Amino acid sequence: MTVATTAGPRATVDVAHEATSIRIGPRTDGADLTVTYGEPLRLAVLVGRDPVNIAAAHAAALGANADIVASLGTAGTASLVDRATVLREARPQAALVIADKGDTSAIVELVEALRLGCASHPPSVFVHADEKARVRIAASASPMHFEALPSPATAGGREAIVARLRALRRGAGDVVLRDEAIESAARALAAASGRATLVVDVTGANTSLVCASGATVIAAHSHMGIGPGADRVVARAGLDRVRRWIPRPIDAPALLERVFNRARWPDAVATSPLTLALEMSLAREAIAHLVRDARRAGLDVDAIRGAEIVVATGDLARFPRPAQTALVAIDGLAGEGTQLITRELADALIVQGAIATRAASADVAGTTEAIALVLTVAPKRSTTVTVTDANGTVEERVGRGALFLVPTTGQAQIALSGQTERYTASGLSLGVIVDARGRPLELPQRDAERVPVIARWYSALAALPIDGGAA
Amino acid sequence: MTWQFNEWHTTHALPLGATKRAEVGARVRAGDIIASGTTYGSAVRVAAARRLGVAPDDLARVMRVPLGAEVEKGAIIARTGRRFARAVSAPIEGRVAHIRADGDLELATIVDRWTVRATLDGIVKSSDDSEIVIEGFAWGLQGVAAYGPDAFGDLTLAVETAGMELQPSRIDVRQQGRILVGGARSGAESIARAHACGAAAVVAGAVPASGLRVLFGDDTGAHSKPMRGDMPTVLCLLGFGNAPLPASLFAPLAELAGTRAAIHSASARLFVFAARDAIRPPAQSPSLALVSDWGALRPLEGSVTLGEEMAFPSEMSARVVVTADGPIPAANVRSLA
Repeated sequence: MTVATTAGPRATVDVAHEATSIRIGPRTDGADLTVTYGEPLRLAVLVGRDPVNIAAAHAAALGANADIVASLGTAGTASLVDRATVLREARPQAALVIADKGDTSAIVELVEALRLGCASHPPSVFVHADEKARVRIAASASPMHFEALPSPATAGGREAIVARLRALRRGAGDVVLRDEAIESAARALAAASGRATLVVDVTGANTSLVCASGATVIAAHSHMGIGPGADRVVARAGLDRVRRWIPRPIDAPALLERVFNRARWPDAVATSPLTLALEMSLAREAIAHLVRDARRAGLDVDAIRGAEIVVATGDLARFPRPAQTALVAIDGLAGEGTQLITRELADALIVQGAIATRAASADVAGTTEAIALVLTVAPKRSTTVTVTDANGTVEERVGRGALFLVPTTGQAQIALSGQTERYTASGLSLGVIVDARGRPLELPQRDAERVPVIARWYSALAALPIDGGAA
Repeated sequence: MTWQFNEWHTTHALPLGATKRAEVGARVRAGDIIASGTTYGSAVRVAAARRLGVAPDDLARVMRVPLGAEVEKGAIIARTGRRFARAVSAPIEGRVAHIRADGDLELATIVDRWTVRATLDGIVKSSDDSEIVIEGFAWGLQGVAAYGPDAFGDLTLAVETAGMELQPSRIDVRQQGRILVGGARSGAESIARAHACGAAAVVAGAVPASGLRVLFGDDTGAHSKPMRGDMPTVLCLLGFGNAPLPASLFAPLAELAGTRAAIHSASARLFVFAARDAIRPPAQSPSLALVSDWGALRPLEGSVTLGEEMAFPSEMSARVVVTADGPIPAANVRSLA
């Protein structure tokens, strides 16, 4: 492989999209690296009662982008046959077994159910248990082979499980999984900036949140997206949660039709403002749902929401207006504090992330563009924000529920009245966004009240073209 | 998505509790039972190896009935010794469902029986406790998604033209056991009525997505959902909402009316068991376009040309295909080949 350096030859990387692949680099005869989504992996989780283990198992699944098709615990009262039936119907390709200390019999019961349900097409079984329990689990799992791994509650253990599960998703090919590339890119960006960096990747089939800060990386990936994964967003988050973000009235059945057709039409182009708004709504809910999953799995969601730099990649970065990317990222994440929102330039960051998986370092300079500096506040009473840029100083009053944009040129600095902290950023394509809508974002239930609110938010950032012209 | 006469493979997943299944190499016809079994109810754990005083690995040697056998209450399941015999008898009527690693047995009651039928005329290529694969030749049509159990029956046109919607009023009990071919759309009411009248399945260009959720549950997505039991079967050939069938798909369906057919839900395929020369699909495949608001699909029957990149009202830019009705992004046009 030819590794990119600032002065040396560049690697050629094929980046898979929904139905096509885009080659980036100097070569035309072939690629040095291929970034793919990998195969979907059906994972069964068999776990004891300990909430730490349950959360750790789900965190490992999120880290490996595996779909949990069956989750059985020892706390339930289901019979062996019921559990085996669930596992047979789920047809897992891998099973993650985590035994609690002193609860070996109960976990053995689950493994017996796994053998009864899946012995004729055995999944890859990964077990964390103490040595005594492992012997009993081995006897119950036979003839299924299993691999003993460290506890997923530890960083090393989670890494080991994620590596095994990713190997199954990778198949026989020497490919870089998109989630691996994103993680490497997040590490490289955090190292380059010295600040906590969150990469939010939304594509047709996947959504990823990777927060890197120093040596710590928090990663969650899911198969929800705005294309082939769109129906999963609706199935998991609910149609109403997607519909609530559309800035015009649309009935649920009509919306569902559009979601289903998009899910079965890879790389479809959103030609109308409505379909673009639908993609933006799906992206918001995919992000928001993944944040909820991450919280349930015990991941540090505060770190994700509070990252200083948010980098949008994938289809999220390819919305026609930077404001659309910013609005989706803000609404989906419901971030806190002051965040610099940036977006990837045409797969550039994914390419560098892929290279970084095989090389010691990555050159992430010039792979992103800064969109906006977002100041999220929850003022109890009206306050003032001061924005200073190359054109001078602007003072804006901030009331509860406000969302507005202050366009800036050159270096921008923001200050909030009563606070000594100053935040600066330069080269913002949009400017400074002040978000005082509060957290969590509350939307009115009734269409007649909600649609004007959403439309106002879109309008505040000039984020949606109106039929027949730009907003 | 075009008609193809091919050698197809179908995989039939088996539920837990198979008692009989077709052997590898067996010749089967679509609709034949290839596997049967029992649905387990509650299970009772029976101490066997411990009671008999044998090692768990030796239990199989002393069992009087094989794993999976149906036993009556009190029947001897395993026995050791001659003069001072020890025996394990069944505490309930049921099936020996499982032998545990510690030598205990799981005896499960039988609450129902199931069968799995072939969806192809062909030969069993592989067969085990969890799936059977059949290989055979047929005319096949790949759909986008199918919902419900596998279905079998004679193909019957229920509409006159490819653009018509299948109306409930056109369905009655005379169509019992048949696979009904709707046109551009078949609503939930038509599908439910077809099922109530005993029709085997409905095939249509598109089905309203909300109707699918009404019929098959709120977890229904845009991907196939094979099911078991007394449920309707629907095959969406092109998409969701409304999708008039191109003439190249509809005309062969009309020609094949009355022919034996099957729907394999897991792969979303319609198989028609007719001779290779029964139909002559056009050599050139038509194209299909996703309409601008994604609410429907339409065939592109006329001539189209590839145009330059242009910006759409959404401000998205894409290379276009120019049609009589205006430009469409090339990515939103798909050949049915």
